[in-house]
Amino acid sequence: MRRQQAKIAPDFAAFEAFYRRHVDAVTRFLARRVDDPHTVADLVAEVFMAVLDSAHTYRPKLGSEVAWLYGVARNTLSAERRRAFRESQLTARASGRRQLNEDDIARLEERIDAARHSRQALQAMAGLPDGERAMLELVVIDQLSVTEAAAVLGIQPGAAKVRLHRARRALKALPFSMEGISG
Amino acid sequence: MNFEEQILMELKAEYGARVERRRRTRRLMMVTAAAGLAAVAAIAVPLLTGSESAAYAISKNDDGTIRVELHEFRDADKLEQDLKDLGVNADITYLNSRQICARDRGQNVDSPIGKTPEEWEKTAVRNVARPNGRGMDIDPRHISSGQTLVMEVSEEGDSVTLGTRLIVGEVRPCNPMDDPTWEERKAEENRQPAEN
Repeated sequence: MRRQQAKIAPDFAAFEAFYRRHVDAVTRFLARRVDDPHTVADLVAEVFMAVLDSAHTYRPKLGSEVAWLYGVARNTLSAERRRAFRESQLTARASGRRQLNEDDIARLEERIDAARHSRQALQAMAGLPDGERAMLELVVIDQLSVTEAAAVLGIQPGAAKVRLHRARRALKALPFSMEGISG
Repeated sequence: MNFEEQILMELKAEYGARVERRRRTRRLMMVTAAAGLAAVAAIAVPLLTGSESAAYAISKNDDGTIRVELHEFRDADKLEQDLKDLGVNADITYLNSRQICARDRGQNVDSPIGKTPEEWEKTAVRNVARPNGRGMDIDPRHISSGQTLVMEVSEEGDSVTLGTRLIVGEVRPCNPMDDPTWEERKAEENRQPAEN
């Protein structure tokens, strides 16, 4: 635990480098799932805040940094969705929002717009069982390899392949083409 | 400044606050072992066991703060009631060793997000309960109407750690979880036993 933790935590310069390396990927990951620029920015902040919390759980052997980070982002997002049911929390969050300038909003909207096909695809997947949907999301929407997606979900690559296969088969019934989708 | 840089500043403030918190906790825990002093966001307070009949003692300081000395981890309800009688809306949870409450206790009054470490240190939540001797001094002036001082106390060997929150409105029950920073803090203490 200690050694891996030291990879991110020893000084802020290391964390900053980590942040700069991945902030764009995380922003795009979230823009594929959330269509409000302010919420995307809030969530980016929360994901990296969670990284400060949980840096010691990053284990290099389990996969790439970005796959690990997508796992953190997924958890942050599902926490956000649970919280969205609770009005009081939303009010509190809105008051803590940073000021986005016009350029920020334009850049975020651009990413959100570029991801609209992804969000449509996600809607089409909504009916799948959770495990299969998560797998398909990571491979089709986020373009991870099967091994990386397995690492995000904390399952074996073999089990991941099975889930992926089932999900694709289930989706064949839908009149929606999965080809050519990218974030 | 674009939003990526803004977020980075927020993270830096939080990082700084944590380093400071950890440093102070460690230092005070050292002192605790020697002389019985206590620390902050994690306050270290030595526990007396056996010899005291009351689990805690409350008194008033001259400066208007309220002093609580903790002797045993029981009668939290009674302590809450006693504090309430003194005008302090408090919620106290005693936890097992190495545990903390999940963060979702309610709407926090203050957040380190968007603040520099200096600004954060001046917030109500950082000043509402100050460590002192075998307990803490609570300053009711930092608790506004409708707010609750939430204190989460756990054992750690012969000392305790205390987390404080200021929550506005409803306080949700504590969901105990393993303290993710415990090993980290422990390792640092072991590594630098001679600081201060």
